[in-house]
Amino acid sequence: MSKEAVIQVDSLVKKYGDLVAVNGVSFTVNRGEVFSFVGPNGAGKTTTVEILVCLRDLTAGKAKVLGFDVSDRKGQQQIRKRVGVLPQDFNTFDLLTVKENLSYYKKMYDGGMDIDELIRLVDLEDKAKTLYKNLSGGLKKRLAIAIALVNDPEVIFLDEPTTGLDPKARRDVWDLIEGLRQQGKTIFLTTHYMDEAEVLSDRVIIINYGKIIADGTPSELILKHGGKTTLIVEEGGTEAHNVLRKKFPDSKIENNDVLVPINDKSDLPDAVMTLNDTKTKFAELIVRRPNLEDVFLNLTGKKLVDGELS
Amino acid sequence: MKRILAIIGGALRVWFRSKHTIFWTLAFPLLLMLLFGAIFSVSEDPRFDFYVQNQDIIDGVPSPLSDTFVSMLNETGVLKLKMVDAAENTAEYIDEKGIEMLLLIPEGFQQSCFTQNASVVLKTVPPEVDTSAATVRGVVEQIAEYFNTVTTGETPPQVVTVQSESLVSENYRFIDFFVPGLIGMTLMTTGIFGAIGWNTRNRELGILKKLATTPLSKLEWIIGVILFEMVMCAISTVVILTVGILVFDLRVLPNIYSIILIAAGAITFPGMGMVIARFVKETDSADAAANAVSFPMMFLSGSFFPLEMMPDFLREIAKVLPLTYVNNGLRASMVYGNASSALYNTAIVLVVGIVFIIIGSLITNWRED
Repeated sequence: MSKEAVIQVDSLVKKYGDLVAVNGVSFTVNRGEVFSFVGPNGAGKTTTVEILVCLRDLTAGKAKVLGFDVSDRKGQQQIRKRVGVLPQDFNTFDLLTVKENLSYYKKMYDGGMDIDELIRLVDLEDKAKTLYKNLSGGLKKRLAIAIALVNDPEVIFLDEPTTGLDPKARRDVWDLIEGLRQQGKTIFLTTHYMDEAEVLSDRVIIINYGKIIADGTPSELILKHGGKTTLIVEEGGTEAHNVLRKKFPDSKIENNDVLVPINDKSDLPDAVMTLNDTKTKFAELIVRRPNLEDVFLNLTGKKLVDGELS
Repeated sequence: MKRILAIIGGALRVWFRSKHTIFWTLAFPLLLMLLFGAIFSVSEDPRFDFYVQNQDIIDGVPSPLSDTFVSMLNETGVLKLKMVDAAENTAEYIDEKGIEMLLLIPEGFQQSCFTQNASVVLKTVPPEVDTSAATVRGVVEQIAEYFNTVTTGETPPQVVTVQSESLVSENYRFIDFFVPGLIGMTLMTTGIFGAIGWNTRNRELGILKKLATTPLSKLEWIIGVILFEMVMCAISTVVILTVGILVFDLRVLPNIYSIILIAAGAITFPGMGMVIARFVKETDSADAAANAVSFPMMFLSGSFFPLEMMPDFLREIAKVLPLTYVNNGLRASMVYGNASSALYNTAIVLVVGIVFIIIGSLITNWRED
């Protein structure tokens, strides 16, 4: 993968009156990466994207997209020609069909992708003549992503592309993004779904209260901040806890489940054998690997549920 | 009871938080009441505006008999006389000022009185257009009768006769005078409602934000919306005229001057809508904002009844409303065949339209703040 930087952000600050929405953020996105900006609602994700796609002015710092300064008027014109954007909560014309909507936005650019090819890419051939208002939520989102691709952009900004979708529709959008990644597109994704960032991203930045709190590949972040793998003895209760804590003093009981931290390769078979030997009753054994949600929890002390801190 | 109170409470909360509903429930009827109250208010000056041109001048002053006739008119208390200089060209003066009722006392009036064949010429729009024309005609004829009695001491003979002339050459009916006002009103409502609604709805859907990320410029968007509204205005105008011709045997038809004026109006009102749209955030408020601007304009610009019947202060307000010039211009071109007045009104409408487009392109919120 090329290491050409297509987005360079240095000490970016955005203030709304006294409120500092983005507070000295710096990062680089390389060509061909799927780069995720993850954080709760109000963390500064959308503000950062809107600065990068020239929808908002920055207060301080520098930002370049494809080598063009976002604060420079001529640079903005070049950026608009060469990036594709799916704004947050975007809906398009209800009474235009899929194909008509795509044609409408394509006419805003010189050149771009062939509309029929684009419809095939997002797997909407059967719906090409369907009005937007008659599409399901998932199909609407697919069309919205297709609209972001009409100019065959070098960088694609997807601002919370799966918010409000059901699990199946989310998976479909993930497949679409994965397909774009395989085509070598650079994708800047904002999301508050940690699993989405983990599955799709080459690199992740976690942002909270306008500041970057972690930056790396998903596996790097999990290794560094995610904590340990845990064996969960479901419905083990105090009996299982008493049996296991002799060998695993860090084990604890939560809602009648026993949680056993796995510090070593031999810990897992040891724990299972102990339960087997003592004929301890339990419902199920689950091995839970740490993920980006644990990273966020460990870094902030709070869980992220549907974009809100809890 | 608790549940019923909950229903009432919930409905009240929703009502209170909906600007649109509040407007239609409270502000709109209030606005109409104030508007019509002011228009039909008779307390200020109930008299009819009536222009008099006395051309019977002897030694630089009006002849005694013509002056007497004017005094009699004035003493009725029904007419608010506005004297026109004797040297003015009557026809040009009427065109220029858009006068609907004028009495001409011709040169030699006094002399003719002595030979009992004097006449005055009453020029009015047809009573079908403005009912006050019929009233004024009646008053003038009564005064002529009275003048005859006073000057001869008996009736008849007729010393003075009233010759009535229509200011309109063709035999037009009410519908022919109504349609230009209707076209003007349609241009306004289509333009203002269309531009505000289209902008607000697309902003709410996120379409404006999406378009702002493309090479499309703000000015291109504004011009696109205005041209679209022009097409809508053209369609509306064609429909009005077609129905007018087929159903009401409409006799007034647009000529080149009225087409140019319709085009100018179709630029001005969407331009005005684009400026207003800048301050409207929600779709719910869009109709309220459009109504707040268009309703007063509809009633104060002479779309449905002549400006002459409104109090002076409302006539002053009408002078700053672009629809007034659209209506005046359309009537001038379609009904009176007065090209110069049509072009004068077109020029005003066009300048106002360009100003609105410039202001709209400056203040439209294309990018985020």
